[in-house]
Amino acid sequence: MLSRVSSVRPFLFPPPLHRVPLRVGNVLELVGPSPSAKTHILIHAAITALLPKHYGGLDHFVLFLDLDCRFDIARFSQLLLHRITEDGTRHCDQTLYDLCMARFLYARCYDTFQFLHTLRTLHCRLEKEKQVHGVGVHLLLIDSIGAFHWMDRASMFLSQRENNKKKLFLQTVSEAVVQNIRKLLQVHPMLVIATKSVIFGNKYSTSSNELKGNMEERCSRNVTRNHQTFQYREYMPSVWQSFVTHRILVRSSDDHPVATNYQNSSFYLLEWLLPRLNFADKIVVKDVRT
Amino acid sequence: MAPLKSLEKEYPLIDSNFQSFCSSHGIFSVEDFLLHDLDALIAFADNHPTSQTLKQGIDQLLSTIDALQPPLLNGLQLLEDAQRNKHVLLTGCERIDALLGGGLREGQLTELVGPSSSGKTQACLLSASTVAKHNSSVIYLDTGNSFSPQRIASFVGQSSGHVFDNQVDHILKKVLDRIICYSVFDVYQMFDVLHQLKSNLRSEIVKSNQHVRLLIVDSISSLITPILGGSGPQGHALMISAGFLLKKLAHENNIAVLVTNHVVGGEDGISKPALGESWKSVPHVRLLFSRDFGSNVCHISVLKHPSMASARAASSTLYL
Repeated sequence: MLSRVSSVRPFLFPPPLHRVPLRVGNVLELVGPSPSAKTHILIHAAITALLPKHYGGLDHFVLFLDLDCRFDIARFSQLLLHRITEDGTRHCDQTLYDLCMARFLYARCYDTFQFLHTLRTLHCRLEKEKQVHGVGVHLLLIDSIGAFHWMDRASMFLSQRENNKKKLFLQTVSEAVVQNIRKLLQVHPMLVIATKSVIFGNKYSTSSNELKGNMEERCSRNVTRNHQTFQYREYMPSVWQSFVTHRILVRSSDDHPVATNYQNSSFYLLEWLLPRLNFADKIVVKDVRT
Repeated sequence: MAPLKSLEKEYPLIDSNFQSFCSSHGIFSVEDFLLHDLDALIAFADNHPTSQTLKQGIDQLLSTIDALQPPLLNGLQLLEDAQRNKHVLLTGCERIDALLGGGLREGQLTELVGPSSSGKTQACLLSASTVAKHNSSVIYLDTGNSFSPQRIASFVGQSSGHVFDNQVDHILKKVLDRIICYSVFDVYQMFDVLHQLKSNLRSEIVKSNQHVRLLIVDSISSLITPILGGSGPQGHALMISAGFLLKKLAHENNIAVLVTNHVVGGEDGISKPALGESWKSVPHVRLLFSRDFGSNVCHISVLKHPSMASARAASSTLYL
């Protein structure tokens, strides 16, 4: 009984994911235009999960499915070292670093079929890792779930179903993906965090329509931008949308604090859409000084 | 899209009985098999009289697909691969190298964005000549007849200042031999060249001084912009699959890919890179070029970089 209770313990992530408690079986979607700090948030969540408990971590394996094929391991290593040494205040423990790097599992897929097959074979591979290391995978990161969207939409692949119901390939693929992830979650309960980029461009809706007016109004757009709400078009099929249990919107912010020590930093706004919280967190991403 | 029939010769377990069982469930090809619910299929196979052979056939099919599967690596293996294989290529311009954090990284796709005559092609030619000088091959896909051997010659001449003339000629000949230039005028030609390159790299045993280390597409936007219009998703699909093909070539063969893109007008009159939102998630690194009117000075800033937080500016003088 006690072991069952401890396995349903919520994930305690540091900011920016701290507002809502997350448990295994939850599917969190990070939406945002490019560039926003989505992959950065994923990496930080991964590092929190990899670190052992006495370092403030969650002490288990992490699986990263790279569908964008843009993951930079050097950046990951840099951020991990930064976290371990807490910005130079602690001595860097090589065995700890090696342990954490070895707990980070990575696979890269170049098209939907590879993705589907990877999901399918993950069960055996994760079982093997669990037996060898005794620690399971409790975090699945997908970057980004909409990577193959255009290719799937345009696919001329026609599957001849027996009851003549010609489903769109996109629909079929999404169903297969969701089904495979569900099956995987049944055997290896995990928290799933997926990033999704906005692909239809953004439409800023403003409280006043004066932006379309004369030039002077355009110059003062910094004032009105604080009141804008970001709208994006949802393009993933409904089967994925209903699979998602939590959603966060991240976007870059134009507000720059006046202090001059914020050079070489980027600013982002993070907003919880599901469950809806009515305030936005600010994220600052600074260069790590090596 | 391999139909199951074609696998029959090599794998006798996938016989006509197996194929008819699969077609009764709407599975005619390997892809259909991947999309289908495997557990349900195995359950049906259990109820079939020839369940043993059917299940063996399913296992056989799964193991053949497994062979094409990308491996599951851990962080240490990834880091080792990056440090051992993915070197940094100097572009020949110190300012650009500093902006890029050392230079063009193999395995990554770098994009140069800017209006016309802002120095993008010059940067491409300079990178090509520098990489070729260091004993590596360069593949240059030229879409607008902008490749200039004379310019390569002047770059080589500039950088080997203290060498005698006849030696410079010799160096120049070697450099030009290593730059392989293709003229491509539409996106399908580009796909042809890239697929050919992929199969050449897979099969050839190449000598160390002929390794392709840099692939330049100047400019990829002129190939893709004509197909992006229209009501269907085919244009975008081609663009994204070109991106994946380039990234796959880059990662598996340790090549740095350099592409150029132009700008279009955006909202509020600010120019933005062409090719739209979906393209933004393709390159690893994006540099923005601009040139003041009537001057030789190029301003370059970083739009995106995996290890850098934000836009850093540098101005560099490239003589155009």
